Amino acid sequence: MTSRRRFLAGALAAGVVPARSWAAVGDPSYLSAARRSDGAYVLVGLRRDATLAFEITLPARGHAAAAHPERAEAVAFARRPGTYAIVLDCSDGSILARLEAPRGRHFYGHGAFSKDGTRLYTTENDYEGAAGMIGVWDASNGYRRLGEFSSGGVGPHEVLRLPGQDVFVVANGGIHTHPESGREKLNLRHMRPNLTYLDGDGAVAQRVQIGDDWHFNSIRHLAVNSTGQVGFAMQWQGDEWDAPPLLGLHRLGGKAKFCMAPEAEHLGMKGYAGSVAYCGSGMWIAISSPRGGHVQRFSAMSGAYLGSVGAADVCGISGAGMGMVATTGGGHVVGIQASITAHHPLAFDNHLVAI
Amino acid sequence: MFRSLVLSVVVMLSIVAQAAAQDVDLSTRVTAAVEQHILPRYARFATSARALSRAAFSNCNADDAELRRTYHAAFDDWVRVSHLRFGPSETDNRAFALAFWPDTRGKTPKALAGLIADESPAGLAAAELMQHSIAAQGFYALDYLLYDPTYMTMGVPEYRCELIRSLSEGIAVRAEEINGDWGQYFAAQMMAPSKAGAYHTSNEAAGELLKAVATGLQFTEEARLARPLGTFDRPRPKRAEAWRSGRSQLHVVLSLQATRELTTVLAGTTSVGERMDDAFETVLNNATFDDPVFAGVAEPIARLKVESLQQYVNALREQVVAEMTVALDVSIGFNALDGD
Repeated sequence: MTSRRRFLAGALAAGVVPARSWAAVGDPSYLSAARRSDGAYVLVGLRRDATLAFEITLPARGHAAAAHPERAEAVAFARRPGTYAIVLDCSDGSILARLEAPRGRHFYGHGAFSKDGTRLYTTENDYEGAAGMIGVWDASNGYRRLGEFSSGGVGPHEVLRLPGQDVFVVANGGIHTHPESGREKLNLRHMRPNLTYLDGDGAVAQRVQIGDDWHFNSIRHLAVNSTGQVGFAMQWQGDEWDAPPLLGLHRLGGKAKFCMAPEAEHLGMKGYAGSVAYCGSGMWIAISSPRGGHVQRFSAMSGAYLGSVGAADVCGISGAGMGMVATTGGGHVVGIQASITAHHPLAFDNHLVAI
Repeated sequence: MFRSLVLSVVVMLSIVAQAAAQDVDLSTRVTAAVEQHILPRYARFATSARALSRAAFSNCNADDAELRRTYHAAFDDWVRVSHLRFGPSETDNRAFALAFWPDTRGKTPKALAGLIADESPAGLAAAELMQHSIAAQGFYALDYLLYDPTYMTMGVPEYRCELIRSLSEGIAVRAEEINGDWGQYFAAQMMAPSKAGAYHTSNEAAGELLKAVATGLQFTEEARLARPLGTFDRPRPKRAEAWRSGRSQLHVVLSLQATRELTTVLAGTTSVGERMDDAFETVLNNATFDDPVFAGVAEPIARLKVESLQQYVNALREQVVAEMTVALDVSIGFNALDGD
């Protein structure tokens, strides 16, 4: 049974059966995991105007997804410490492949495709070795496991590809967890988050460590604009009322710059950034805090604070037109400097992934 | 272990409560919460904050009995609404300016010392002071000027006097602004949800109110109790809230009473409502031991009472969230609670 599905998946992906394009599935612009009001977990496709393009049931709560650059395929990742990821044909919801984390590994919930779409890279935990790994999967051949390499740190959460090249940036959050103790943080005192740039074979191009004073600032999420500037969002593990900046800007080869709102607005984020995204034009970048119920905007150029938008349980954000679109746990789709508004009977999960 | 026990209880309860949830008229509950809990409390706060400012204008000596009496009364009334951190309290950062605490870096004393040393004119006019750093404003700044011997004698008396008046006036203005906004539009937006308002449905409005209970309890646990507790090896009694004026434990009690009222109004006269009331009663009974500024955190035996209270508050929050989300059929913090 499995082997037949594998075969079919391989045949599909290899192009024996013509693979469907994104246009064929209603032209979604974004993917998001969500919970339906009946309690079922789903992956949904959202169009530019915030209408639903498709809805596919997932076996358990999802976290984020990775969209194939051409084919209407999405890899939906389980919420950590999940060991499943499924490759979905977004035209009919059928499962093209199942990714099972190898023994001793679990997924963190994010992944990225190579430029040509033939490889999928996933962030994983080698939990016995307390080491972060990047798993490599053959996206042109039924998502066979090809191998793995070090992520360059502990607790790699999100991985993104820089535009136009096969260089990947990894947010090594620095926090060690073990599935036996769920999500309990086992090494807070000694955590050392970093941002690591690697090529598709795992060769490190740069590692960016943040200062000792801020070693509790777990780097979790990433965004990149068309010029290759990387925004990284952090979650402060120290005293909530003493949080340093939650957003950093960096460019491969350069030094990090940190962005922070004025006193009260900064406190309003509660030391927690859940997602980061550039606006459609790439001119500004935003971080969301579901705990604080705010999205804060900063200039991509100067890092200056530009303002804040309030929305209860907001987390997913993504560029839209020249502006941005945000999703909430209450089912709202809200435009920021963009005239988008919609409501769906869904609780949108952490991330809104642009296709 | 404890968590899984709580969860299994919750699952059982949820089966019972699911049927009840169908019948809940959320709109009535939200209206009751606004009319019986929020509006009267803010009205009272606006009145007592104005009385504080009046007292400061008639006598601004830090040890004046009437000034101190009105200070305590207004601060009590603030703590009684301090869990309502949404809508008008967040406009122009009013709540932060009323209550800049915890102050992890000692910004408040630094800012006050700076104002006094420079005799900065911004400290003299309330309107100008209100534009100043939020660390130099509100109740916690006033606490230094009224109760900390260093700040009670710092600089020249005339300047301190004007500073006390301006801080009190700033408190009164913000209390009146919040109260005014509730009366003018926010109560209506909450009670009659619409696509044009802050809440689209009664469900969202009820979710906001339940979240206020949850975050209020969380603040009590994480800020009011956990901060002075520190660790066994390193207790931090001077991190207790408003210890200079002897108010630390009082804030825990007042806030528990306030969140109890909001919870029971939201629950209505139901079995869940009774259970919630009992649960709060138990925690309150464990909150009134004789340790007004939690100085006991530094002593092994007395510390146990504060630790135990912290655990009670934590368990109470979990129970309230678990039962009330089911009873009202509202969801709070799908993402906020995920933490990833």
